[in-house]
Amino acid sequence: MSNSPAAPELKSDQLFVNLGPQHPSTHGVLRVGLTIEGEIVVKAVPDIGYLHRGTEKLAELRGYHHCVVISDRWDYLSAMNNNLMFCLAAEKLLKVEVPERAQHLRVAMCELNRIASHLLFFGTFGIDMGAFTAFLHAFREREMVLDLFEMSCGARLTYNYIRLAGVMKDVPDAWVARCREFLEFFKPRLKEYDELLSFNPIFLDRTKGVGAISKAAAVDWGLSGPNLRASGVDYDARKSEPYSGYEKYDFDVPLGGDGDCWDRYYCRVREMHESIKIVEQALAKLQPGPILGKGVAKVPKPVPGEAYVHVEGARGDLGCYLVSDGNMAPYRMHIRAPSFINLAILQEMLVGERMSDVIAILGSIDIVLGEVDR
Amino acid sequence: MAAMTVTSAPMTKEELKAELEKTFPDLLPAKASVGDYLTLRLPDSAKLLPVVRHLKDKLGFDYLDMVNATDWLGPVSLAGFIREPNFNIFLPEGANPQAEPPAKTAGVDYRDAIELSWCLSNLARRIKLFLKLDVPRAGGKAPSLISLYKAADWQERELFDLYGVRFDGHPNMTKILTPDFTVGHPLLKDYIHQKDRFD
Repeated sequence: MSNSPAAPELKSDQLFVNLGPQHPSTHGVLRVGLTIEGEIVVKAVPDIGYLHRGTEKLAELRGYHHCVVISDRWDYLSAMNNNLMFCLAAEKLLKVEVPERAQHLRVAMCELNRIASHLLFFGTFGIDMGAFTAFLHAFREREMVLDLFEMSCGARLTYNYIRLAGVMKDVPDAWVARCREFLEFFKPRLKEYDELLSFNPIFLDRTKGVGAISKAAAVDWGLSGPNLRASGVDYDARKSEPYSGYEKYDFDVPLGGDGDCWDRYYCRVREMHESIKIVEQALAKLQPGPILGKGVAKVPKPVPGEAYVHVEGARGDLGCYLVSDGNMAPYRMHIRAPSFINLAILQEMLVGERMSDVIAILGSIDIVLGEVDR
Repeated sequence: MAAMTVTSAPMTKEELKAELEKTFPDLLPAKASVGDYLTLRLPDSAKLLPVVRHLKDKLGFDYLDMVNATDWLGPVSLAGFIREPNFNIFLPEGANPQAEPPAKTAGVDYRDAIELSWCLSNLARRIKLFLKLDVPRAGGKAPSLISLYKAADWQERELFDLYGVRFDGHPNMTKILTPDFTVGHPLLKDYIHQKDRFD
């Protein structure tokens, strides 16, 4: 929030366009100052910080159980992954074990949350491109996932379901059947999405070859998640450093080729196929047993030390750097926020693009401002 | 060397350590390592760029994962918070806190320094490395990695905003997260919040 809101000095044939911060297609409070020459963007200055809540500072006076609640508020569209990331880091400091049933429940919840998050991307990206129908389809399915979450923990957005050394409570008896029902309902829908949006000629015209990120640029800018994989870089935390038992699951990592908007979009659609596979396997692996490990105090005080844990969130490589000095609150908590790091490339990649493609590019990066600003 | 960069077999911590020590014998093991990752301490800030350049060009560390800072002054100053926090999670809000605020723990290396840490990744060989460097709390400076990794751009600006550490060579060392009217650097342990028109 350092850039002056006033227009910069312009040449006579240039125009300043202020995109956001209150604009439906910026998906939150993001402001981009665009300087255009005719139809071509010559300078783009993203301006962030409107949603900065200082969560890293808040954590310095809150116990480890409290911090799980804070973690919901970063990437609020895939809060389960945030919960998991913080809990894994804290469990590393506390040196506690997680029971097997809890691990499978965690994986199932995280993958369901990835589906819900990608569905929201699918719907809103369609709207950005002028296709409203896809949004209604996506939200119908997302609602079913949220119902599953509501059944298991009572919340629909900020779950706080994954707790230190396990999960909050066991899922009700009917949950597994409801979940299988949803997966069976959802599988043919994905095929429908391809017909409805993915291979729609108008949609292809607006996204194919637009905003391409080369492999080298994607790595240089530190992109992660579907944005990185769309450029053809095979990097997924679930494969490179498996956590929570992901090494026992059989799934593929979808890769793109050109790294354009359509590749980034389609990577996410294909990830939903893989997430279905993982949830099915997790449900099959569920055996009765404890869901909360032993050895976590009501006010945990880990021995001094440092830990770094990264998980594959819905938006990319989500990392937590946790330092303990033996007190009841973390001495330092730093979040490697994938949205924040993915967004930085915008200032370079928008230059030279047409004004009408700006929204397509911004939408395809799929950011959550709660995570960008923390 | 050429054969080494082509291979994509996972690199072990020991291999990496041996490889680095060949070129840079003065790298020290960090006092506290980050989890199970190889953590090395730089003797001074002039060493940062040569070490990272070597890692990038010769050892395939092409990905800057994260830049982080930790202020080691001591437990956070309660004076900086507007509202009195309650440490006891079982008490309602506003109740008398029945727990002690964070205090210094014996054995922890509190010092008048900000510890910067860089996490670098070799994506193909699946290994991460942490580099650490102490800079003074007042007027701390470190070389910017932006010439090697563009991912450093916003992350370094974030640390400048929240800690006041300047990164030499960064073309746009300005605030990024906090508003223009925020006085001071909020993540410093002795930060005192100045009331503004939103409080």
